[in-house]
Amino acid sequence: MTTLLAAPSAQVAGVTQRHRRIPWSAATSAAILLILAVIDVILQPALLNLTQIGLLLQTALPLILIATAQTLVVLVRGIDLSVGGIFVVGNALTVTWVGAGGGAHQLLILATIGVTILFGAINGILVTSLRMEPFIATLGTWTIFDGIALKILPTDGGTPPPLLQTLILKSFFGLPSSVLLVALLILGWSLLKTSTFGHRIYAVGADEERARLNGTPVRRIKLAVYVLAGLCAGLAGIYAAGATTTGTPTAGDGYILTSVAAVVIGGTSLLGGRGGVGLTLMAALSLTFIADIVTSVNLGVWVSVAASSGLLLLVVSIQSLIARAAERTRG
Amino acid sequence: MKRLLSTLREHQLTASAYLLCVVLFAVATIHTPGFASGSNVRQLLVFASFIGFAALGETIVVISGGLDLSVPWLMAFGGIQLSHWAGSGGLGGFGAIVAVVSVGAAIGLINGIGVAWVGIPPIVMTLAVGGLVQSYLLYLGLGQAAGAVVPHVARAMATATLGPLPVVAIVWIGAATFVGVFLSRTVIGRRLYAVGASDVVAHLSGVNNKRTRVLAYTVSGAASAFAGIVLVGYIGSTYLDIAAPYLFTAIAAVVVGGASILGGSGSYWGTVAGALTLTVLSAMLPLFSLTDADLKIVYGVAILAGVLLSTSGSTMFGWLRRASNRRRTFKFERENVSASHSKVPLPR
Repeated sequence: MTTLLAAPSAQVAGVTQRHRRIPWSAATSAAILLILAVIDVILQPALLNLTQIGLLLQTALPLILIATAQTLVVLVRGIDLSVGGIFVVGNALTVTWVGAGGGAHQLLILATIGVTILFGAINGILVTSLRMEPFIATLGTWTIFDGIALKILPTDGGTPPPLLQTLILKSFFGLPSSVLLVALLILGWSLLKTSTFGHRIYAVGADEERARLNGTPVRRIKLAVYVLAGLCAGLAGIYAAGATTTGTPTAGDGYILTSVAAVVIGGTSLLGGRGGVGLTLMAALSLTFIADIVTSVNLGVWVSVAASSGLLLLVVSIQSLIARAAERTRG
Repeated sequence: MKRLLSTLREHQLTASAYLLCVVLFAVATIHTPGFASGSNVRQLLVFASFIGFAALGETIVVISGGLDLSVPWLMAFGGIQLSHWAGSGGLGGFGAIVAVVSVGAAIGLINGIGVAWVGIPPIVMTLAVGGLVQSYLLYLGLGQAAGAVVPHVARAMATATLGPLPVVAIVWIGAATFVGVFLSRTVIGRRLYAVGASDVVAHLSGVNNKRTRVLAYTVSGAASAFAGIVLVGYIGSTYLDIAAPYLFTAIAAVVVGGASILGGSGSYWGTVAGALTLTVLSAMLPLFSLTDADLKIVYGVAILAGVLLSTSGSTMFGWLRRASNRRRTFKFERENVSASHSKVPLPR
């Protein structure tokens, strides 16, 4: 009886410990984001304007959504290389099916979302039921999904449904829709994080065996996470189709490694159980600011690539060195 | 016979990769007899060697328990930097090749130091270094007209033949033999497996884990740069995305060849089979009028099926062995133990 009563309190202790740890990563990510934002605003004062912020978020949103997908999977100690594949499938379906669908936009958009959820579920089944390594399973599905997208839409082109385009360009209550979407994402994540499901995600990522012994349905949680990741990556593809008003069936590959970079810069541990979507959001915005700063001062693309990679290397080196020092003082 | 069987069991993954390759080749030849012609086979060997060199370092890194995502950018570096350094007033073809491979090794060394000494996860370290190499290539491309010169040595290596075989294939077979002996017969080679199988056990056995890891990444850098040189020699011109497909194919060849992505197992001969299989697959698809999109799907299915079959294959092997053990135990129990005991569930 006492052990039964003790179990929840142990869980609570784990949670508070996690909350005590997070501020460091959050502070670093916020500081990096703030510095880059200030530099960008100094370079282009016109940015301090709701419409401009909306446009900046509009370019950032596909990366934000894909990086969100990647974060969720990394939190359960996985990795999803197929986010790029699911992105292009969502993208291609939006500009072919839905664009040509005429009146029945809403239903076809829902069907597209359904397809991306299904693809996420395939990843989840490969990883949970068939016990494949996440890296290998999603390496395989990445190229399969890429191939499927190329079959749907062989070259750049197509038209997204007009309704989607107007929604993306529209403002609600004086706020651009992209700002609202990011706010919605933050709200959704804070609800998820404090829910039982959210706690279980962290539990599975921190120690799968212990989570299983505590009665967490590990497989179901993992499956749900991969499904959710498929949904996010698919939404990114749909959004990108509407924002660029065309489909690009080869755009996904670039996002795969960038999404991992955003997750790591944010401070989410690749070993699972630590971090969160909020951190990734800040990192994805930082990467967007870097690209924006580089274009505003008219430097070549190479500067932007070098700065992003350099930031990744810097952040991850500091993280590793701190972890190492902590290990040394503890041991 | 028993020895042969046990060797086969030991190398069942490598053997099944070769079997898959032979089956695919046979199917293609039955469909189109010209597939087995000398010129076509030579062509296939050249294409397979690009994957083979790209996956050489990747194999060693994966055996040591790591992963190298910088392979495609190091390949692009190998090709593009070669055409710069071999140009007018430069080092000349051969000198430029040596210089480029050395710089490739140095970049690999940086990967290794980051992973082994700083403790950065391999995926992140090689991703960041790959990004830095990419930005350097973008910078390099600014001041240069399109269609840079590819030195004669590189062109000859990728296109000339020596006897019945292309030069590049001969170099590849030589490299494969060398790496095969290195991995299975030398102390350093065995240490790579030890480090990949278990960090702690290797350390306690007196292996210098860090130095071993750094070596793996250094070899990977050099091999990738060399792969880029051969690739550019074959294509005859350079562009930034020249090696983009090789991020996927290098890892795929290693996996199809039977190495575990978790480290500690695999062989370069397996990867050679993987490279040949991927090449035969891509060459036979046009025969069945399938497109690039189909090829991507087939590649993905091949990886998933290959990994599933190899794991379920070893599971089945274990099951068979257990079944034969069980039969033996059962007989033993029937002879020695009373009937009431045989109702107890048999040990598995």
